[in-house]
Amino acid sequence: MAALSVEQVQVLFAQEATVRLAQLGQLLLKLEEAGADDTLVQSIFRELHSLKGSAAVARLEDVSDCAHRLEDLVDGLRSGRTSMTAELIDTLLAGVDRLTVLIMGQDAEPLPAPSTASTTRPVAVDSPPVSNGNHVITDLPMPAASDVVPATDVQAKAVGQSSSGSPTTPAGAVILVPTERLEELTRLVGETASAHLRVGQLLKDRFGVDPASCSEYNELSRSLNELQDRATRTQMVPVATITDQLHRAVRDLARTQGKDIRWDARGIDTEMDRSALQLVSDCLLHLVRNAVDHGIEGPAEREAAGKPGHATIRLHAMQLGSEVVIAVTDDGRGIDIAEVGQRAAQQGVDTEGMSEEELIELTFRPGLSTTAFVTDVSGRGVGLDVVRTKIEATRGRVEVRSERGVGTEFRIIMPITLAVLRCLLVEAGGQRFALPFHRVVMSQADDPAAREHAEGRPVIWVDNQPVPLSMLRHTLGMDADPANAGPIVVLADTSRRHAFHVDRLVGQRDVVLKGLSRLLPHLPVYAGASVEPDGSVLLVLDPPGLIQRARQGIRTTPVAVQVPITDGPRRRVLVVDDALTVRELQRNILERAGFAVRVASDGGQALSKLAEESADLVLTDIEMPIMDGFALTEAIRATPALANIPVLILSSRSSEADRQRGLEVGADGYIIKSAFDEASLLAAVNRLLGVLAA
Amino acid sequence: MHTVLLPVGADLYAVPIESVREVVAAPSVTRLVTAPAHVVGLINLRGEIVPLLDTAALLLGVGTVGPLSFAVVLHTPHGPVALAVTGLPERAELSVSCGTSELPGTAGIYQVDRQVAVLLNLAALLVPDRLDGHDAPARSVSGGVS
Repeated sequence: MAALSVEQVQVLFAQEATVRLAQLGQLLLKLEEAGADDTLVQSIFRELHSLKGSAAVARLEDVSDCAHRLEDLVDGLRSGRTSMTAELIDTLLAGVDRLTVLIMGQDAEPLPAPSTASTTRPVAVDSPPVSNGNHVITDLPMPAASDVVPATDVQAKAVGQSSSGSPTTPAGAVILVPTERLEELTRLVGETASAHLRVGQLLKDRFGVDPASCSEYNELSRSLNELQDRATRTQMVPVATITDQLHRAVRDLARTQGKDIRWDARGIDTEMDRSALQLVSDCLLHLVRNAVDHGIEGPAEREAAGKPGHATIRLHAMQLGSEVVIAVTDDGRGIDIAEVGQRAAQQGVDTEGMSEEELIELTFRPGLSTTAFVTDVSGRGVGLDVVRTKIEATRGRVEVRSERGVGTEFRIIMPITLAVLRCLLVEAGGQRFALPFHRVVMSQADDPAAREHAEGRPVIWVDNQPVPLSMLRHTLGMDADPANAGPIVVLADTSRRHAFHVDRLVGQRDVVLKGLSRLLPHLPVYAGASVEPDGSVLLVLDPPGLIQRARQGIRTTPVAVQVPITDGPRRRVLVVDDALTVRELQRNILERAGFAVRVASDGGQALSKLAEESADLVLTDIEMPIMDGFALTEAIRATPALANIPVLILSSRSSEADRQRGLEVGADGYIIKSAFDEASLLAAVNRLLGVLAA
Repeated sequence: MHTVLLPVGADLYAVPIESVREVVAAPSVTRLVTAPAHVVGLINLRGEIVPLLDTAALLLGVGTVGPLSFAVVLHTPHGPVALAVTGLPERAELSVSCGTSELPGTAGIYQVDRQVAVLLNLAALLVPDRLDGHDAPARSVSGGVS
């Protein structure tokens, strides 16, 4: 997808700014009525901060500068350095007017440059001065009446129309349509489809005509189904529609700061409801700008830390069950948790006894920033606060993980409101279900002779690996007819595979998935639901949740629980992986099993940690920066003090050549990530440590 | 107060009329297996998927016995939700208070002709946190429901 031009970004900015300026005007008037209300002040500050950031992305420096000066004023009010007066409101409102002119002037037909001499109206500011050290807004250029361009002109330009209303939109161009209209369209199509079904019932009841035998009725059914599908899809857009803007923001800011940063966007064909994506877009802009400004070190600092000269900011979007996850990862300096704690303490937060996770959560507090300098990008501690507030307002959540010197990952997790998924349709217990196709490994006829039994449960062989087998009806708690065992569908989550008997396979097709109501309890086996052409509701199952449920309830014979140790000191495992998520997953599994776990993000860091304190076992990935897993294993074997430590490789490389090489360099075991699950990992670790099951 | 009366077995509940979006007769319900007892399933309301809750299970912890006749679709800040009722809902003016109610999620007892109606407090009853960890009182329904 081509990058957006500056003009396109400015048109987008004009749309955003129109809403923000209107909101600012309302908030300022409310503030004047309510007096110094902290919530209102905070909201005004956020609006100005967001406006400033977006203006910088749109390369509207005068707008960004004006917003920054207004932000300074509000910051003074927020921190108590200045008090709220009518004159201050005058100044702020005048500033909003000025912003309006600047933005519309940029977006509408070229305006004559306002003469400062003729349009400047000094704003009377009583003591205390409305200043914030660096900026004093006493000379905001005020718009002349002739400068003010009607908002309709800006909007007309945004949709490709002239101010006279004559359409100039070329054929095939995109037009902007209010979301409400699309939603209304979808609702009306739903009403029409429902009425159509009722007509069919009427034909049958009153006239004895089977509607399925009427070709006109069937043709209308097909058209309505297609219309319903298209109408629903108009509300969905791929993540790719916003990534160019983010890339541009990273690139421009990196250049400004003299940083060499690569942008890496993955999974951008993941589709989201357009209103959710719009909201996420603002938050992602905050996150990537924060990553450039706060996260990524300057070239000298990276060199001193032994890091590659070019940094990377990665955006990775993916749909996981009933959620869309968008992760923004940087390989910068990581969050200085100690500093976060100090600053929080300065703000009166009791940080005594807080864990690292709790301290890092403080970065989402309003007003907290770990940057010593105020820039026009970030550093006021407002961005993360805004991000969390916005995302949580729509049932989403934001998570952060950071490692000092290694990097930071923010994850925005949004529940699916709408998605189109290719699904395998199956029947179980007399009910039809959809299984997202990307989780289906295979389907096959059942062969009772090929079944085996292991660990108290039936298994089948899939790719030379035993895979547990359950009945879907049993797993869902439905009545099961043991005599009726149909074909088998093998599903997979990120690390496990599980086979399910279904009554029958129905087919495969695209399913418009809608999230379930907030008023329902959390039901992990469902990704959502869809309305079928006949008006019934089709449930879409979430394979990871389904597998988890199946694994909890399928053992038919008691199995001893493996524990690493029953007494004595805890065994120490060093987990080495550059992927934060995998590393944390492994840490979690091992810690729950009773091991003392340390982590490292590459081979070099692992050797440093081993030099500080040895380990009883090293669990390492292969592909890592600086020093890979093969080199790490060789280095361990070549160091007398470490040579006897068992090394277990856990890698996504599945070729026999890689496995062989791993063993040749001295690894004691080799697990492929696609076949890895909690049980197999613990079994391998326990085996290498010589731990017996209790 | 202008309300809609919801017959649930032998009991009668009332909800403010402004909270009622529509009444659906004999809705076609898709079972939501694995859901707790107070969730009957999902209904398709002209393309919108709406959860249908068992009113008795929600309030009393004991599911409704008998045919599901109507679904009363309510507006909530968290989206539409339907309550299952066993008789035709009717409009009624609640004016004669008979005292306070005991059940969580209710807001008083009223006399309607010779019947007793329990007014539901929807803001307290239909909230995600409460429904997620639904913990209705363990109490049997005296007199049963038809």
